[in-house]
Amino acid sequence: MTAAAALGRRTPGRAESAGRRPRRAESVTGWAFVTPAAVIIGAFGAAPIVWSLVISFTNENELSSTSTRFTGLRNYRAMIHDPIVTQAIEHTLVYTALFVPGVMLVGLFLAVAMNRKLRFMWVYRTAAYATMAISTISEALVFIWLFDPSYGIVNYFFSLIGIPQQQFLNSPSEALYVIVTMTIWGWSGFAVVIYLAALQGIPQDLIEAAAIDGAGRWTTFRRITLPLLSPASLFLAVWLTINALQLFDEVYLSTMGGPLNATTVLVYYLWEQAFQFFKYGYASAIAYMLFIVILVVTAIQFRAGRRFTYYRS
Amino acid sequence: MGTYRLRAAVACVLAVVAAVGLAACGSGNAPSGGSKSIEIWEGYTGAEANAFKHLVTEYDKTHKGVTVSSLYVNNDYTLQKVQTAVAGGNPPDIAYLYGSWAPNVAKISGVVTLTKVVQKPGVNWTDFWVGERDVATVNGRVIGIPALVDNLAVVYNKTLFAKAHLAPAGPNWTWAQFMADAKKLTDPAIKQYGTAYVTPGSEDTVWHWEALLWAAGGNILNSNNTKAAFDSPAGLLSLNTLRTMAVTDHSMYLDPTDSAYANLFNSGKIGMLVTGPWDLSAFPNVHYGVQIMPSFPGTSGGHQTISGPDNWVIFNNGATRVKTAEAFLLWLTAPAQVKYFSLHTGDLPIRASVADTPGFDAAMNKALPEVSTFIANLGNVRQARPQIATYPQISQVLGTMVVSVLLNKSQPGPALAAAAAKVNQILAGSG
Repeated sequence: MTAAAALGRRTPGRAESAGRRPRRAESVTGWAFVTPAAVIIGAFGAAPIVWSLVISFTNENELSSTSTRFTGLRNYRAMIHDPIVTQAIEHTLVYTALFVPGVMLVGLFLAVAMNRKLRFMWVYRTAAYATMAISTISEALVFIWLFDPSYGIVNYFFSLIGIPQQQFLNSPSEALYVIVTMTIWGWSGFAVVIYLAALQGIPQDLIEAAAIDGAGRWTTFRRITLPLLSPASLFLAVWLTINALQLFDEVYLSTMGGPLNATTVLVYYLWEQAFQFFKYGYASAIAYMLFIVILVVTAIQFRAGRRFTYYRS
Repeated sequence: MGTYRLRAAVACVLAVVAAVGLAACGSGNAPSGGSKSIEIWEGYTGAEANAFKHLVTEYDKTHKGVTVSSLYVNNDYTLQKVQTAVAGGNPPDIAYLYGSWAPNVAKISGVVTLTKVVQKPGVNWTDFWVGERDVATVNGRVIGIPALVDNLAVVYNKTLFAKAHLAPAGPNWTWAQFMADAKKLTDPAIKQYGTAYVTPGSEDTVWHWEALLWAAGGNILNSNNTKAAFDSPAGLLSLNTLRTMAVTDHSMYLDPTDSAYANLFNSGKIGMLVTGPWDLSAFPNVHYGVQIMPSFPGTSGGHQTISGPDNWVIFNNGATRVKTAEAFLLWLTAPAQVKYFSLHTGDLPIRASVADTPGFDAAMNKALPEVSTFIANLGNVRQARPQIATYPQISQVLGTMVVSVLLNKSQPGPALAAAAAKVNQILAGSG
């Protein structure tokens, strides 16, 4: 922190001593480097974002129809009275609340288990990260068969230990949890990599000092390791939450929002409104609501994170 | 050094800006209004792609001065891409679009009306199956030319029938017989099911049921598409039939993924499937037979089935290009080309006259056993789904209704009444 501040103070002085002209040239060069990316991001990122905000205030349904007109807040009002939107919000929040801690716990457990010198450790680490490299469609297909009510291996194991046969993706009360399991498996490799890197950044002398003070393994983990992992945890919490709120692929590939809307999450519902029913205006309104939800949740996470996160200087 | 770097950077920026600019309007400049070059968006892969490419090359060769270029677009996304292209003022000349989109397609400005084109001498419009013509027509206006046709029939595993000492179904069979066979083909000990049903609640769930509804003599909507008509004795009969198999007999494997059923049938785990000709090539491991849909005796429906045809749609890019596109499509869908395409892809012929050609059935069956039953079954397609823009929303309501009955979450009667109320709301414009 102090080093950065000192650097910041020193830079202008150096530029002043070198005179004004090169400085302007430098800024032009800077802009020149930024412009291509800015143009591309503006055209393919920012413009559609703004345009979809405009669309969300219209009855747009064909993109090219002549009957499009501004309808003010009608789409937003309709959303409040749409029972499926309420359900979709519920499913999205339940999913996020299970998925984010789930991935972090599994990731942390695996990372701690792998943070030691063992023969063939690279095999275990590669295996853990492989879940991230496997495409979502393969992941979905595998889980569909694992959780097949009649032929799946999960029900087979259940039968061995006397648990009654479950309907899984065929059951409105179970399907969402199958998707939670599927995505936790898919994302745990990502958390492992982040936590493993953070674990290896923990200074050994702190651990040794704790040991000298008589701390046991659990106390060391709780008092030294966990606090030092907090920046990684905050990053994971924010990143995973944003991804969880935007869940789509796994739902589209396995249940298509069913059975009976049990796995209809917000992004799936807005996709359906836009590209199945062609209600682009309504879908854009849902997208903007989701945007605000993500913004608020992320802001809360950062605010809360500041209190619990420990950054070493 | 400094100025050199600056100049290089500015040059870079200009190059990128120019490239982006060109990309944005590139294809718009290429074929001008007077050109005889046309662009087609299609989603063919594998054998279909090869056959289509062959036909396009042949057309280019035999029609001097005309260039037909085709662009692969995944069929599932063509409509949204076309809508964007139309909004940007640069649509393709021809696009392959799902028939279920037809009412929405008709609303797009720039879609060329083909009502007079298909009446031209030599086109022989009535040679296209009635199910196809219905789907190409929206409120009396022809907006497309048939591109594909299929239908639902029963594919059954001959080995499992023999093992269960069951005689294969004859063409006069009934749904009662289907249910009895399904029950006998079910064996929980070896996890074998009599039949299967797809339950994602999508249109695939819905149209399977619609075939039963029609067979029971029912209708989805009233004749002028203003009110639901499926909450009827026919609706009840059709849902009860499905319910008996799924809930009472447990003879029906419910597939929420819309993909597992084909693998299971090919593994000899399912006795009978109601499906279309596109699935036949997925069953190389079983000795299968095909039979037309069963009937409900005592109703007017007979052995009706349902078809999901797709259309070629022309977009207006100036008179010359529209004329070129029309000429190409009429050539592409003329009997000789239809025959070539069917024989090389196994797709059902989109013209009745091609199906009647001597030796055609035998040639088709050689590549795809028993596909000729699907061809004959085209005659059992008597009606099309409602050609209205709100059909996708109605379909969602119907999907929920069918799935809730199959999962035993509601009884057929109340499910029908609740769905009818929702559909009426959608039709009244407040859905």
